[in-house]
Amino acid sequence: MGGKVSCTLGEVKQRADFIVYWGGNPAECHPRHFTKYTLMQKSKFLPRGRKDRTMVLVDIRETKSAKASDIFLQVRPGKDFELITILRALIKDQNVSDEAIADTGLTREVLDDLVQRMKSAKFGCMFFGMGLSMTRGKHMNSAALLTLAAEMNAFTKFVAMPMRGHGNVTGADVMMRWQTGYPFGITFNRGYPRYNPGEFSTVDVLVRGDCDAAFIIGADPGGTMPQPAIDHLKRIPTIVLDPHVTHTSKLARVHITTAPQGIAAPGTAYRMDEVPLPLKPPLKSPYPTDEYVVRRINEAIMAKPFWLPDGSQPQMLTAQV
Amino acid sequence: MIRITGGRVYDPANGINGEVRDLCMDGGSFVESVEGGRTIDATGMIVFPGGVDVHTHVAGGAINFARAMTPEDHRRTQAFIRTKTRRSGLGGMAPTTFATGYLYAGMGWTTVNEAAVPVLSARHTHEELADIPIVDKTTLTLMANNEIMLDQLENGEYERAKQVVAWYIWAAKSYGIKAVNPGGVAAWKWGKDAKQLTSPIEGYSKLTPGTIVTQLAQICEDLGLPHPIHLHCNNLGAPGNISTTIDTLKHLEGRRAHIAHCQYHAYGGDDWDTMCSETAQLADYFNAHPGITTDAGAVLFGDTVTITADGPWQHLLYKLTGRKWGNLDVENETSCGIVPYTYRPSNLVNAVQWASGLELLLLIQDPWQVFLSTDHPNGGCFWRYPEIIKLLMCADFRQECLKQLPDKIKGKIRLAEIDREYTLYEIATSMSAGPARALGMPKKGNLGIGSDADVVIYEEDEDVERMFGHPRYVLKGGEVVIEDGEIRETPEGREFLIKPACDPGIDDFMRPLFEECYTMSFENYPVELERIEHAEFADCLGSTRS
Amino acid sequence: MSLQVIDNATCTFCGCVCDDIQLHYDETRIHKANKACVLGTAWFLNHTVEHKYPDALIDGKKASLDDAIELAATLLHEADMPLVYGMSNTTCEAQKECAALADQLGGLLDSHTSL
Ligand code: SF4
Ligand SMILES: [Zn+2]
Repeated sequence: MGGKVSCTLGEVKQRADFIVYWGGNPAECHPRHFTKYTLMQKSKFLPRGRKDRTMVLVDIRETKSAKASDIFLQVRPGKDFELITILRALIKDQNVSDEAIADTGLTREVLDDLVQRMKSAKFGCMFFGMGLSMTRGKHMNSAALLTLAAEMNAFTKFVAMPMRGHGNVTGADVMMRWQTGYPFGITFNRGYPRYNPGEFSTVDVLVRGDCDAAFIIGADPGGTMPQPAIDHLKRIPTIVLDPHVTHTSKLARVHITTAPQGIAAPGTAYRMDEVPLPLKPPLKSPYPTDEYVVRRINEAIMAKPFWLPDGSQPQMLTAQV
Repeated sequence: MIRITGGRVYDPANGINGEVRDLCMDGGSFVESVEGGRTIDATGMIVFPGGVDVHTHVAGGAINFARAMTPEDHRRTQAFIRTKTRRSGLGGMAPTTFATGYLYAGMGWTTVNEAAVPVLSARHTHEELADIPIVDKTTLTLMANNEIMLDQLENGEYERAKQVVAWYIWAAKSYGIKAVNPGGVAAWKWGKDAKQLTSPIEGYSKLTPGTIVTQLAQICEDLGLPHPIHLHCNNLGAPGNISTTIDTLKHLEGRRAHIAHCQYHAYGGDDWDTMCSETAQLADYFNAHPGITTDAGAVLFGDTVTITADGPWQHLLYKLTGRKWGNLDVENETSCGIVPYTYRPSNLVNAVQWASGLELLLLIQDPWQVFLSTDHPNGGCFWRYPEIIKLLMCADFRQECLKQLPDKIKGKIRLAEIDREYTLYEIATSMSAGPARALGMPKKGNLGIGSDADVVIYEEDEDVERMFGHPRYVLKGGEVVIEDGEIRETPEGREFLIKPACDPGIDDFMRPLFEECYTMSFENYPVELERIEHAEFADCLGSTRS
Repeated sequence: MSLQVIDNATCTFCGCVCDDIQLHYDETRIHKANKACVLGTAWFLNHTVEHKYPDALIDGKKASLDDAIELAATLLHEADMPLVYGMSNTTCEAQKECAALADQLGGLLDSHTSL
């Protein structure tokens, strides 16, 4: 059961009369989300714009986004998964104990009202942010919310999508999926892509000291990652590409300054709903683009002997376990 | 420069049926003769034009969504190992881009038509297509639920609707249009579906699915598109949908059309228990109307992942199976759904589907009208085509397979009574010459002088499935890409586009409507021509490109 | 000198990727970013074409681009298990090169999503 039911932001703009932000603070982190895509827009189907839409915010604290919402639900920290599970039960008229509800920090009255509103919506959309996907039980939380959205389709149209931060992280996700089959946390150490988020994701790899060189681009782990991970980056040869000399640059063997994307570097970036947009850089940078530098590095490596000697491996493998 | 000598050549477009002939190629095309260069001795072997897939889903938001939803499949699937010059990849139900090229070429297919591109996803689709090596590509833009276009038809503005279609084709850098579940997807965005061809669509007062079919088919003809309307009929997969399908065909009123995956549209019965095959009725219609073509959309037993731009059908599947479900609604265009699915011989519905696909391939008499497809990945993965070829060529094998079906299947299907066996000539027609002609690609699907030198050479083998699954050589654009089961070269493919004549004033008409419906700037919407790798222009019929 | 204008420029600072920004700029910097929010405006206005940082640093010392590229290639090629990480603040075109890099190295490939 479960799955992923999503749409582009244009569908939300045109049709969503019920919008939930779960664990995110769009007012401060995605400032134009309300005005451009969700709340404020008028459309053929929602001619009165904001008045035709209901917004619910679910978060552990009252952020600035709460002011924009019609209903604010303050969930107890770490209880998102429980709350989603309760909602999944309530929409199906299953029994939920008072203790279970109280444990989430909310009341039955509030949740019954929410479920009633969800079901009577014409088109519901749930956005989930870092607060949901980056806390305890992160993957389970997002999966549960996606399932709730899928299940809501038994009653009315409902979709869900993550609120991606950080520039073009969506583009990386989309491209890795088409080239490797996986969105992140990939290893090519057997000559083909394999995936295991807990095992091959960067923090785990660095903390365990599993990699013996690091190429960092468009990120500054030296400023954000836990200390043991940073310590490992210091121990191994680290290479950084960035428009600025970053925390990570300072502990790296090699730093290369590059042109910032969309300002001096052309190309493409993906929006959080996986719609690609062209970049239109106005400035000419004295620095080369990331694309150019990584291509040059690829070419330089191509000129060296390949790590798998020719003929030492089959071309294809059939059954993998 | 390459010369292929001594092979038995099957080139249906030129009426060549198993004659021993030599083929010469130079600069990517067939030529009269060559001096020097490599000679491939194909004595005793069988030579076909490279396969052409008229309907598949290999790139873009939907299949990429499917890749994300099936990590457990990637683990147990075929892996392509990295070499010094070749990228790694994974096969399976939703192969990665690089693997898609290797797998198609590996069984001798050299041209594929990505059959469903939502306009908003066009830029993304082209980026993925550029990462599919070896094969040449075309794309079809989804149109029948486009609200801007539908509004024109609702208001009786046919000319305007035609301009809108032309604008979209060029903006999306595509080759033609596909109409999915006309009107139904627009309704689905409200959780409804359009069932009747003659009743107005939810949200419109006059417009019916039938009108959309008639007018879009006419628009394709008036624009001179090389490929006629590519039509995915309403009520896909539903018991009793045969009446909708026949009704849809009648709405074409004699216009050319290609009907996608007809297997999913040929059922009788009133519900899942009484569902049965009505392929004879549909085949009769095709036999009487040579101007329409179709692809089988055949089903093979086993695991796959279903993705179609038909949200209502996917939601039905989800309810039937309780499996994972993905749905992606794209603004103002379409929605698409994704469900991992296993077709089982023991399941009566699946058994009817399996038989129906084969029945249509066998009952439609002219292989120039019905083409090999599984609607990849919906009915099965494209790399299983050799299994279908075996089922078509060996009646005994079919009878053998029929034995796995439950007893209750009696009376629901016709397959047991059909003893037709495809000849090699007919297979070459159905997998290459026919689809190339339907797509309007004169240089594909044939071995004539001046055509693209895409060739597949098989070593004769009693086991038809093995023979078609493991060609001895595959040449793409006159270059050996597969030899003895190994990938030799991975050249980049080309993309074919058309530029239909378009009134320059249409931009000003589109801009305000566009900005009202969509969330991206009008100027940023059209895919830049520079983004298309090796773009190749096809001409519109009856018009000269300016 | 009067400012040049680009309509419908794209802001990549957050996942909204607004593509309706009007930029007013001259040869050295962007002076105005109409329609952008506070975050977007800061993003556009803070970058200039100044040669503010060295082209490259090797062990903290100024180096040429060519030397840095060559050393980077050598270090990555010598490693048994190199990691390619990040890819948030860069273009898809660069991201594709990064995937090609990890594939050719037989290394690890990961984005910010895994954090
Ligand atoms: S303008 Fe603001 S909301 Fe839009 S992408 Fe930039 S930072 Fe995000
Ligand atoms: Zn299809």
